[in-house]
Amino acid sequence: MSTITDGTSRFVGETFGRGAVVLAVVTVQAVAFATAVAVDQPTLYAVFALGSAAALVAASGGGWRGVAAATVGTLVLWGVLSTVGSLWMLVLAPVLLTLAVGLGSEGSEWTGVAAATLSTVLLVALGVPLALFFVRQDPALVAEKATNPEVHQMLVLSVYAPLLAALAALVCGVPLAYLLREGFPGQALVESLVDLPLVVPHSVAGLIVLFGFGRGAAFSDIRVLGTLVGMVIALTFVSAPFAVNAAREAFETVDSRLEFAARAHGASRFSSFVRVTLPLAARGILTGGVMAWARAVSEFGAVAVVAYTVQNYVSPLTLEETSAQHAPVYIFNTYTSQGLPESGAVATLLLLLSAGIFLLVRWAAYDDGGIL
Amino acid sequence: MTSDSLDVDVRARFTAEGTEPFTVDAELSVREGETLVVLGPSGSGKTLLLETVAGFHAHEGHISHRGRDLTGTPPEKRGFGFVFQDYALFPHLTVRENVAFGSRYHDDTTDPDELLAELGVSDLADRTPKTLSGGEQQRVALARSLAIHPEALLLDEPLSALDVPTRQTLRADLVDLLDGVTSLYVTHNRTTARALADRIAVMHDGQLVQVGTPEEVFESPVSPFVARFTGANVLSESALSAVGDGEAEMVAIRPEHVVLDPATADFEAAVERVVREDATFRVSLSVGNGVGETTLDAFSDDPPAVGDTVGVRLPSRRVTRFTTT
Repeated sequence: MSTITDGTSRFVGETFGRGAVVLAVVTVQAVAFATAVAVDQPTLYAVFALGSAAALVAASGGGWRGVAAATVGTLVLWGVLSTVGSLWMLVLAPVLLTLAVGLGSEGSEWTGVAAATLSTVLLVALGVPLALFFVRQDPALVAEKATNPEVHQMLVLSVYAPLLAALAALVCGVPLAYLLREGFPGQALVESLVDLPLVVPHSVAGLIVLFGFGRGAAFSDIRVLGTLVGMVIALTFVSAPFAVNAAREAFETVDSRLEFAARAHGASRFSSFVRVTLPLAARGILTGGVMAWARAVSEFGAVAVVAYTVQNYVSPLTLEETSAQHAPVYIFNTYTSQGLPESGAVATLLLLLSAGIFLLVRWAAYDDGGIL
Repeated sequence: MTSDSLDVDVRARFTAEGTEPFTVDAELSVREGETLVVLGPSGSGKTLLLETVAGFHAHEGHISHRGRDLTGTPPEKRGFGFVFQDYALFPHLTVRENVAFGSRYHDDTTDPDELLAELGVSDLADRTPKTLSGGEQQRVALARSLAIHPEALLLDEPLSALDVPTRQTLRADLVDLLDGVTSLYVTHNRTTARALADRIAVMHDGQLVQVGTPEEVFESPVSPFVARFTGANVLSESALSAVGDGEAEMVAIRPEHVVLDPATADFEAAVERVVREDATFRVSLSVGNGVGETTLDAFSDDPPAVGDTVGVRLPSRRVTRFTTT
């Protein structure tokens, strides 16, 4: 049985084991959500999430009296909610609780409860719409889209092109990250340039790519408008900062004395980088790559400008020339031309695919077991 | 200077963010097979000196070993081994892989398992460094450095992060391990210095202030700083009017040379404190001359009680006098 020292469920974690607790909590939340949806009262689930978070933390800090208090508090909140009928009560309650804790005695056991309920407001805002999005899709329509060849091509392109962009960002970004860690004159200027895509509106980023690589520009022999090359360049432009910054942070966590030690025992600078620095930073670099990939998958603006429809590229699956659209563009296109249900069904497929790949990479990258 | 020695004559200026610039200016020569200990307090620049010798810092002047000029040579081509205070083992490699790290860069190496056995840690070969105790990690780090048959070994306070029993054991082992190995050993610990050194170089504010055998440095310090740092009593002569000749400003005497004997006493002093130190006692005496009071430490196996007045003799041949400070 593992002993956990971090976070909310120390008490329950020590009694039942960490994995079991996570599984139990997820199951209970899923059942509660399904029930709330079944009776067509999703708001009830939000109240339940708040109350169960409070109860969990109260159980770990204050024992069963805390759980009782959290439960009573939530029931009162539910009563007020059903009377006043306002979503704002859901936000107001944790805020009031936090204020009460803040103004009350120092080190109160309710500090954790206040933090948990306030955090749950954010988690509810992030998670509940996503869950509702999934349950409100039409399964038949999703199944129909899942068998549509056009959607297949779109999904393949939406994984493939961001993968190329992430690789490009890593291949050139990792050496840059290493140099940034080492430090050099004019570094601040280079750092600003690297971070620039983060603040440039992405449609503008698309224009920048067109002006830089399009007709009459520096690399005018490359066709970017409506091509896979153009799409990858645009995606690299917007996702490179994630790869560079993550890799740099990873390099900064590598103790320079280890590189000293490698050099002192015969390794050249390059050999020391390959045998010591890179393996120790690998996990951070991989995280940066995944973040760059994820950022590229979700990119709309730059792709819409540069390659609204990617024409005549060789699909990595069929090895045949084909044309397709990047998922965000395709989904937006479906939304404007066919409406919300159709675009929702396509978006569901993209979300499932992204989540699957994301979890796979996390599972592969973290040998300590897990995604839970 | 023989051509076999490791000759160092460097001047280097170091600037780190938020600190005053620091200058190291040192000239020393480590003879073939000798252990030279650089002894100095924290911040004296001894680690910077060692890292400069290893090739990690730009400097003026020259470094050469066995007649080969190493001044512009990168660290990996200098043929040295380096042992760090915080071990600096590669966390992603096993103990055996750590020890074998340098083997692909050197023709003449020792088998890792053989070295680990010699250092008494052969059972750890397949473990990773983070599962090892400090003493075990430092043994592995030593094995890593010795495996490449270094032409000289550079050691940066390898014992100072260890607890006292581990330190004593490893120090005793180092006496054998460093025998015949040209070593430059940096420490702030005078006990370690005295135990391991063939010669000691005392460093202060980036400069070497005295170089000599342990005997010379401990018994004949060249300055009040060296005397104090090697554990001697340093007093102003005026505080010791009973034994002074009035010519020196400061005098130094090691506690073990202070004689507590009423029969031959030069003067009397009050016992302020008695502290057990291993097999003996450190007796702190308050010496007054009517102007001010100063403390004088002595060792005694049969200590007087606190508050007693005892007769004290300072054998004149054991007293070092400093005329300028």
